[in-house]
Amino acid sequence: MAKTRAIVKRRKAIRNIRKITRTMELIAAARFKKALDRAVQADAYTRKIAELAADLSATVTNIQHPLLEKRAEVKNAVLLVLSSNRGLCGGYNTSILREATQRIAQMKQEHTNLKLELSGKRAIAYFRYQGARPDATYTKFEDRPAYNDVEEIANRYLELYTSGKVDRVDVAYMKFQNVARQAPVVETLLPLASLAPEPTKKIVEAKPQKTVEYEFLPDPQEILQVLLPESFKVRFFKCFLDSAVSEQIARRVTMKAATENADEMIKSISSEYNRARQAQITKEIAEVIGGAEALK
Amino acid sequence: MADPIVFGLQCVVVTPERALLDEKADFVALPLYDGELGVLPGRAPLVGQLGYGELRIRYGGRTSHYFIDGGFVQIRNDVITVLTGRAIKVEEIDITSAKETLLTAIRTIAITPEKQEALQKTQERARSQIRMVERLRQQG
Repeated sequence: MAKTRAIVKRRKAIRNIRKITRTMELIAAARFKKALDRAVQADAYTRKIAELAADLSATVTNIQHPLLEKRAEVKNAVLLVLSSNRGLCGGYNTSILREATQRIAQMKQEHTNLKLELSGKRAIAYFRYQGARPDATYTKFEDRPAYNDVEEIANRYLELYTSGKVDRVDVAYMKFQNVARQAPVVETLLPLASLAPEPTKKIVEAKPQKTVEYEFLPDPQEILQVLLPESFKVRFFKCFLDSAVSEQIARRVTMKAATENADEMIKSISSEYNRARQAQITKEIAEVIGGAEALK
Repeated sequence: MADPIVFGLQCVVVTPERALLDEKADFVALPLYDGELGVLPGRAPLVGQLGYGELRIRYGGRTSHYFIDGGFVQIRNDVITVLTGRAIKVEEIDITSAKETLLTAIRTIAITPEKQEALQKTQERARSQIRMVERLRQQG
């Protein structure tokens, strides 16, 4: 009796866990949909900024801006690590942290002064365990990062960069390529690699666009001065959106696998239970027959 | 041949968070960095830097008002694309918080010229929001 009871208990526990993982899978799927919608809508903005930058670069011949210049010597750098606040999302955090750790080791070799900034409880806990001292931590970015909050950080980085206190800004995050593919990357956001942020979906360049003679208010050079920081902010915001989407995907995939595993376990435990029960019955019958035999 | 003449403007407003608006218009007034710019159909292509203030879109006798805060505008083929960090419909402006912001900005003492400038901007922004809401109340 004792054995079957234990098996039943165990099966119940697994059923309960399966319920939780199944719910989490559904929630993650819904959140993923929303996060993706946001990312797609944000893409419209990115695309327009890129278009403007292209229009401007057609008129301004020699573009010079401090944000575009690569500094010869990188003395101080910022590394922002975007992880999640919650666990149960498979290798999502691990792979980001691995990338980040590699970059940190590399910077140490180059004797770069590193300012480490962390977003998400997972990264904070990990680096605390490693004994690293982060310069700033954020936990407010979940699946819907607000532009206002992100802009605040972006402005601070721009300030640090233009005042020369920092020579490079890197972000470690999970880049969203498509629904089936996300890759952990460390990207250098400052200095800017190019004028325009690249939108997720490549616009078909083939369409013959007439070059339009624009009227510029104020002159193109001045618009560019404002456009470049904006371009950085958009890229920066996109990192947050990407990591939000990727986190939900990772969680959904992990929870789906967990649910499937639970199903399998329930199946095997059920058959184990049936076998144990049958064995018990057989044993009892044998005992009854044995008892009857003995009475004869 | 030139493009067929279509009367009317298309006004598109996008923020980094979402595509806010895409609608037809007869007339659009934009707050440029140095003053207001009115746009009627047939406007020459333009790229401009925006300041903060009121975006007015008139279509068929109805006018909608938005508060926008910086960004850029591109006008081309009668399509006005407004790229801005923040765009709030005037009915959704939180006047109490705008007033609060204004008050704190007035009370704060700036130490450096940059901070002074930032404070000045915050004040003007809040004032412009309050002004917009009050004007709307008077009208309706």
